[in-house]
Amino acid sequence: MSFKLLKTNKQQVGKHLIGIAIFALLLIVVNFIPFDDYYRKIMNLSFIYVTLGLSLNLINGYTGLFSLGHYGFMAIGAYVVAVLTMSSESKEAIFMIVPCYDWLKNIQMHYLPALLLAGLVSALLGFLISLPVLRLNDDYLAIASMGFAEIILVLIRTQFRITNGALGLKGIPRIDSFWLYGGMALLMIIFMVLLTTSRRGAALEAIREDEIAASAVGINAFSHKVVSFTIGSFWAGVGGGLMATLIGTVNPMQFTFQLTFNILLIVVLGGMGHIWGTVVSAILVTSAMEIMRFLDEPMHFLFIHSDGLPGLRMVVLSALLMIYVIIRATNKKRKNKPALSKKKMEADHA
Amino acid sequence: MLKLENITMRFGGVVAVNNFSMHIENNEIVGLIGPNGAGKTTAFNMVTGVYTPTEGKIIYTPEGKDIDITGMKPEHIADLGICRTFQNIRLFKSMSVLDNVKIAGNLRMKSGWLENVVRSPRYNHERQIIDEKAAKLLEEVGLSEQASDQSTSLPYGKQRRLEIARALATDPKLLLLDEPAAGMNPQETQELMDFIRQIRDRYHLTIFLIEHHMDVVMGICERIYVLDHGNLIANGVPAEIQSNKAVIEAYLGVDNA
Repeated sequence: MSFKLLKTNKQQVGKHLIGIAIFALLLIVVNFIPFDDYYRKIMNLSFIYVTLGLSLNLINGYTGLFSLGHYGFMAIGAYVVAVLTMSSESKEAIFMIVPCYDWLKNIQMHYLPALLLAGLVSALLGFLISLPVLRLNDDYLAIASMGFAEIILVLIRTQFRITNGALGLKGIPRIDSFWLYGGMALLMIIFMVLLTTSRRGAALEAIREDEIAASAVGINAFSHKVVSFTIGSFWAGVGGGLMATLIGTVNPMQFTFQLTFNILLIVVLGGMGHIWGTVVSAILVTSAMEIMRFLDEPMHFLFIHSDGLPGLRMVVLSALLMIYVIIRATNKKRKNKPALSKKKMEADHA
Repeated sequence: MLKLENITMRFGGVVAVNNFSMHIENNEIVGLIGPNGAGKTTAFNMVTGVYTPTEGKIIYTPEGKDIDITGMKPEHIADLGICRTFQNIRLFKSMSVLDNVKIAGNLRMKSGWLENVVRSPRYNHERQIIDEKAAKLLEEVGLSEQASDQSTSLPYGKQRRLEIARALATDPKLLLLDEPAAGMNPQETQELMDFIRQIRDRYHLTIFLIEHHMDVVMGICERIYVLDHGNLIANGVPAEIQSNKAVIEAYLGVDNA
């Protein structure tokens, strides 16, 4: 018995170790290939979406909290990194309407501590918001979390002396390094593996499966949910901060519900509560969005002539997604059938 | 061990349990019976903290000291040593049989979130204890073979056993079983009765159970309480209950003609 138990545990961790090794290897290989700027940007964006996808998967997939407020926390993270890494000269130049606070103007730090602070500020906010919001469930939670994300954005739009309002911030020192974006994604993957294979991580899944049963065996569901939400917010803040250093500008228009939707799409496609599914789908979906850009441009291919249909790539992407989801759903059904009959046989046998 | 003092539970205008008092002594097996909708599960839910009684007090005495557990949170009550199973089995569906039992070990785990993530020595030690205990419990309830199967793939009777194993993993002193024999065939029922007695003796438990199978109730309960429409209509040893007129009327109805 104890042998069997050891084996199942080992298999779990082993499977993840292989994945981590492959991801790290990919990172090293990619680093030696001289890609042009465009592809580098797509790849870095994919890595950011790995981080963001996993953070949403922790909240929605593992803990089963239907939260849609991710874009608010990303915005917080992006602004914290922007404000903390910009030089005082560029702050002076950009805050045209209302000057920046003096104490803030002279702060400039390395992007790594700035990212950490972005995560911490976002986590603190996530913690405070979770206290009222996590008393709700399902669709109520979804609406309330979205409401709080909108409140965050209103605050950002109106705090001119910190955020420069609707004008946004430009001149954030841009960092173009696979090590940063890929490394952060790898760090997130390792963190998620360690968290979800731990005893407390397993408790999150128990709460998702059956909250009443979980509290009956002594799990404090509310405090577990708060921790999960706070950790998810931390990484959403880090992900938002990474976006700021990748793109070099932030403004309130960047952070819309569409962002949460994109991440949710990645999580759902990759499979709720699966680490590697999220990793793969984050990379595929982000790349596909960019690679299919040619569909929006004028085309002359054999007998097809178009003058460019903006939005065509979204149509194609949606069609591909639907096909994928239908195939997966039918596969699942097929897989379940023999399992059901087996169960029945066992029941009859007993 | 447990004392209910005049507890009442109202849902709006409906009185689910009305002025109900009872007590359970150490190491007893006590049954709670009654027709459908009599308020049995509501009584369980009040003891385990799912509901707070509208009136009355619930006193729990694990080690000679009275604790008022009225209105406490379920996880706190579990921590004090009261654990339960559910009428409509509530397993963690996506998890393996073994993982279902291991979850209950979290209750006695002291390491926090950070220690869990960085795998501190204390965490590793606690985890080993949880793993070994879960494996041992599965062996004792006869589910070792299915340890890595998905919990919902088990036949019904074994799912009930798994739920009991999971409850035992919290180190309870008082175990509440909500219709443990529901949906079982006569052979499974017999096995279950032996099993309940066994775990009572092995873990020095006090057991409080709801049951519809009269064989089970009469076979293993030392004392029985009977609820009907939220009211206590009888209590006593099995023989008394079997011949009690009010109980027979509640179950079979009264011939008014």
